[in-house]
Amino acid sequence: MFEDLLQGMPVLTLMILFPLIGAILVFTVGRSMTVIRWLSLIFSGIPIILSILVLLAFQWGEALPAGENFADPQFYESYQWIPSLGVSYTVGIDGISLPLLLITPLLTFLSILFSWDVTTRPREYFGLMLIMQVGITGVFVLLDYFVFYIFWEIVLIPMYFLIGIWGGPNKDYAAIKFFIYTHVASLVMLLAIMAIYFQAGANTFSMIELGHIAPGFATTFQIIAFGAFLFGFGVKMPMVPFHTWLPDAHVEAPTAGSVLLAGLLLKMGGYGLIRVAIPTLPEGASAFSPLMAVIGIVSILYAAIVCLAQRDLKKMVAYSSVSHMGFVMVGFATLGPVGMIAGVFQMFAHGLVTAVLFMSCGVVQHHCGTRIIQSLGGISQKMPKLATLMTAGFLASLGLPGLVSFPAEFMIFYSIFQSWGLWILVPIASVAITAGYYLWALQRSMFGPLTTRIDTTEIHDANWYEAVPMAILVALISLFGIFPSIMMSRIGDAVSIILSGLGVG
Amino acid sequence: MWIDGAWLIPVFPLIAFLIISLVPKKWLIYEGGGPYIIGLSTASFIISILVIIDVLNGHTLTGSASPSISWIVAGNVEIRFGIWVDQLTAVMLLVVSLVGTLVVIYSVGYMHAEGERKRRYYAEIALFISVMFGLVLASNYILLFIFWELVGLCSYLLIGFWKEKPSAASAAKRAFIVTRVGDIMLMSSLIILLQSVGSLDFVALFRNDSLATMSPEMATLAMVLLFGGAIGKSAQFPLHEWLPDAMEGPTTVSALIHAATMVKAGVYLVARSFPMLVQAPDSLAVIAVIGGITALIAASNALVMNDIKRVLAYSTISQLGYMMLALGAGGLIIVAFLHEGAHEGIGAGYSSGMFHLMNHAFFKALLFLAAGSVIHGIGTQDLRQMGGLGKVMKVTSITMLLGSLSIAGIPPFSGFWSKDEVLATTFHAYENAAAYNDVFLLLWIMGVATAFMTAFYMFRMWFMAFSGTQRSEGHVHESPRVMTWPLIILASLAVGSGFAMFIGSGFFSFMSESIASIGSNVVVEAVDPVEQLVEIFSSPLTYASLIVSVIGLLTAYMIYYKGKWSVANLSKGIAGRMQRLLANRYYISWFYDAFAYNIVYGMSLVADIFDRYVIDGAINGIAWLSRKTGEILRRGQTGYVQTYVAVILLGACLLILFLVLFGGGR
Amino acid sequence: MIPMIDWLIFAVLLLMVGAYGVLTAKNGIIVLMSIEIMLNSANISLVAFSAYSSELHGYNDLMGQVIALASITVAAAEVAVGLAILLVLYKRYGTIDVDKMNILRW
Repeated sequence: MFEDLLQGMPVLTLMILFPLIGAILVFTVGRSMTVIRWLSLIFSGIPIILSILVLLAFQWGEALPAGENFADPQFYESYQWIPSLGVSYTVGIDGISLPLLLITPLLTFLSILFSWDVTTRPREYFGLMLIMQVGITGVFVLLDYFVFYIFWEIVLIPMYFLIGIWGGPNKDYAAIKFFIYTHVASLVMLLAIMAIYFQAGANTFSMIELGHIAPGFATTFQIIAFGAFLFGFGVKMPMVPFHTWLPDAHVEAPTAGSVLLAGLLLKMGGYGLIRVAIPTLPEGASAFSPLMAVIGIVSILYAAIVCLAQRDLKKMVAYSSVSHMGFVMVGFATLGPVGMIAGVFQMFAHGLVTAVLFMSCGVVQHHCGTRIIQSLGGISQKMPKLATLMTAGFLASLGLPGLVSFPAEFMIFYSIFQSWGLWILVPIASVAITAGYYLWALQRSMFGPLTTRIDTTEIHDANWYEAVPMAILVALISLFGIFPSIMMSRIGDAVSIILSGLGVG
Repeated sequence: MWIDGAWLIPVFPLIAFLIISLVPKKWLIYEGGGPYIIGLSTASFIISILVIIDVLNGHTLTGSASPSISWIVAGNVEIRFGIWVDQLTAVMLLVVSLVGTLVVIYSVGYMHAEGERKRRYYAEIALFISVMFGLVLASNYILLFIFWELVGLCSYLLIGFWKEKPSAASAAKRAFIVTRVGDIMLMSSLIILLQSVGSLDFVALFRNDSLATMSPEMATLAMVLLFGGAIGKSAQFPLHEWLPDAMEGPTTVSALIHAATMVKAGVYLVARSFPMLVQAPDSLAVIAVIGGITALIAASNALVMNDIKRVLAYSTISQLGYMMLALGAGGLIIVAFLHEGAHEGIGAGYSSGMFHLMNHAFFKALLFLAAGSVIHGIGTQDLRQMGGLGKVMKVTSITMLLGSLSIAGIPPFSGFWSKDEVLATTFHAYENAAAYNDVFLLLWIMGVATAFMTAFYMFRMWFMAFSGTQRSEGHVHESPRVMTWPLIILASLAVGSGFAMFIGSGFFSFMSESIASIGSNVVVEAVDPVEQLVEIFSSPLTYASLIVSVIGLLTAYMIYYKGKWSVANLSKGIAGRMQRLLANRYYISWFYDAFAYNIVYGMSLVADIFDRYVIDGAINGIAWLSRKTGEILRRGQTGYVQTYVAVILLGACLLILFLVLFGGGR
Repeated sequence: MIPMIDWLIFAVLLLMVGAYGVLTAKNGIIVLMSIEIMLNSANISLVAFSAYSSELHGYNDLMGQVIALASITVAAAEVAVGLAILLVLYKRYGTIDVDKMNILRW
């Protein structure tokens, strides 16, 4: 039924266009706060409805042609742009892009809602967020390397400004560090793209066509190109030891910026790996699989250990993001169906969960004036709603069954055991450490007697525009925790097609 | 058939949870939502009874009859959810529904003074009862694990109910993390099983040969890890210290969660996994040994506790140890049997463990609720400040006496029958269980010693609280009827539930049917109750433990009631050091704290410094290098035109030279 | 005619004299004059090329002389600009000592 509704409608392009129009409008006619805020809300919110329609109209479970390295993309559109170079504007989604496409407008919308009371230069603030939505949506739907790269880079600039203008005390350092670090990574990725383009010599940048040609390249070439892709995407995910831009960027960024950064930008890295790198360069992927696993496991454990020592709530959450994205890396490294499906699902899960976490940090900062755990204490007495939502978020992040992270983590652990046997006992220790640092932080900041180290007389509970986004997210976290198959069943097809190209079951 | 409605059992309390937590305050009318959960919990109780009646008539939902739906399909892995009802489920349903309902009724009185917070309490209790039902009804280990963790969540929330108390918040965190360590082991075990067997459904795993695809070492590892989860949840050594700390929560929580239901989840897990455990006999030995050690250590700790709730907490740990011991011993007997021929009473260990579970749930809940009544009446938990309460709090005093007699193993109370069976099974294992029998003699002796200590510390507690002269000040009153009636009901069960052995074909035959699938020539014999009675009283083992218990009781009587013997001179010398060792709980907690703080936290500080100065240092170093290089290179811009000209000329000359030498003729 | 190489050696020697003057003179006007000398050395070699090419090929190859004339014109213009700059510098700094002109430095 929904397929007919969307028949002939360029849904994906509309999802990119709406925030773009919104951004232009905000920058040109945005004068009063009301206009700016409502414009941004509307133009970032309409794609949510579109994305839900896409979800309902998405087809899955049918037999798709074997031997294809790319899943048959749905909602496919293609227009020629620079024929002499072979560049075309091609969009399409499959089971891998679908979950990410769903959370993109949702998180942006909720972030805009959360930032309802931004008073410094609101026009630029909301406009930049809309531009980010354009870029991120584009990254997840584009199937042409050239345009993909353009949208990839589009995302960097607004983030840089968001951190650099509305950020914390050390914002200049953090913004520049973020920009240069990820930009260098993007350049390495560009090198890999160029290498594939020239090696193929087919005058096309289309991911689908290059995805058919590239697996035939020489193994050495594939290994080098995959290494470049791994570096490029790995920095973005971020992977130890290339992760140090993340804590600084997160700590200094405004809350909405952190939500988008952790919720979406990090997923771009993972998405790139499974969309671009692994299917296109299968022999390179096989060669790098052990290294990816090691990097992933190190990220999981090392970041969790560092979390324990953090005194700043937001920095702790930032490192936990590194830890959870490590799961994604390991899942992909298994090059098996369970691990890869779980990896995609973990990206989806983590997007939802980390948004709640950063929003709670934002509320704490906003109302209590500090994020240092030792200065807080017993805050739940003053902010019961926040305490409930924050606890829910923390429990979700540590993998409590019934919430969305559990199926993902369990399946990834299972895939690790399937591929590498008893090595599983190394990353599984992180479960205890994760519980440790989250509960310790919760106990020290929320429970216990009310703190005397800061002035607590003015503290009031979270505002409606802070609590509503978090509540919506917690509801979704519970929903997908109880019914993960809504998402997982749709991811499966795309993964099996990729794996058949790899020559795995 | 009533049994098809078993899925409703966890749903009712869940509805109560949703109502209490989501409905706005003014529509809740009364007592923070208490009546909703009481009503819905009673409804679950009624359905549970109906289901149990069905099971008693031989209907079960097992094997292929158990309904299920698909939860996740990923690649070649499928996980299904469903319901499984057999005799084991029936016992657990009885315990959870009955104790749960009684505790909630009791809470109306106990939590009356809490005001606004009652709502949160009732919501969390409702959620707990719901997920506990879910745990015992699950037909798949993943579903069980999900409820397992959710039960831990409710425990965390309820232990830390009084959020402002730092000790409560800390205890809650500690409980969660310690059980999480156990859960990690359980999860690892499930992953190994899923990979080797391909499914985590009970149907698939309870076949006789389900573990045959694994090497014996791997199978044993998987089973030991499975037990690891039980170690955490059921507070066995060495993960037992969270339970005494958990006493920070309200006493009703202690009664329901930490005495009667959640801590039994580990025992349930072991019992449920019997068909698998007998395929890996070494794990059964581990279970029995840890159970025996736990029983002994915990009982020794209870001897010196001055907080009434902590005495009961350690007592719970000790009794759980008994249950594990029984299960382990019984399993090894079955293993021995499987290698020989038909053998009587093969369900002994399994059934005695579960029998003790049922009885213990009743009398421990009774003891905790009675203790709560005391605390409610007198305002303190310290035994040294109590005394002489028997005159004023008659109902509490008598019910607590009945509970103490039961747990001490005095006939004809329920504890006697089940504890006797536990010890008999252990001794039986010594006689029969091929590889490990000597260990079981030792364990039997430990069990008897524990029985002595149990009798002693229980009556020490009872005498200190209820006899003699009143040491506390202020007015003491008996608790309201809403609190005393549950006590009376539980007391009658503490007295009478032991006789379940003799009703009909007896508890043991009943239980044995649920493991009838093990081995192809298992004979489940109906044991004649009279015969059983004769056997019990004609065996010297029975009298050994009975005499020991009576001696323990009398010792306590002499010290604490009559005051004839004094413990004062036990504070010096070796006895004194023993006393301090016990009072400090063998320094186990101290050790874990030290380990966590110094080693784990220390490691994280090192990692943090490493991250900030080494890894980040490298990045900042690169930036520094670029800046520095720039600073050096720009010295070349001297500002003097002549310098620039000189460089130009030099370059031109070099270029010409290059061309001449390497350009080649044309 | 004398071998062409003699003219070229002469031009190079003149170039070196001019270069020495450019690199080491303290007075700005001397620098300009030395630049002129270098330019003239280039002109001489151009004219020599023209003469010897004419002789070699039989017809009058005037290209070298034409370029030399053009070069003289451009040199004149460039000296005018140079002297103007020196004038402004003298007004600003009161000296035309090139060692003192180093504002555009690191």
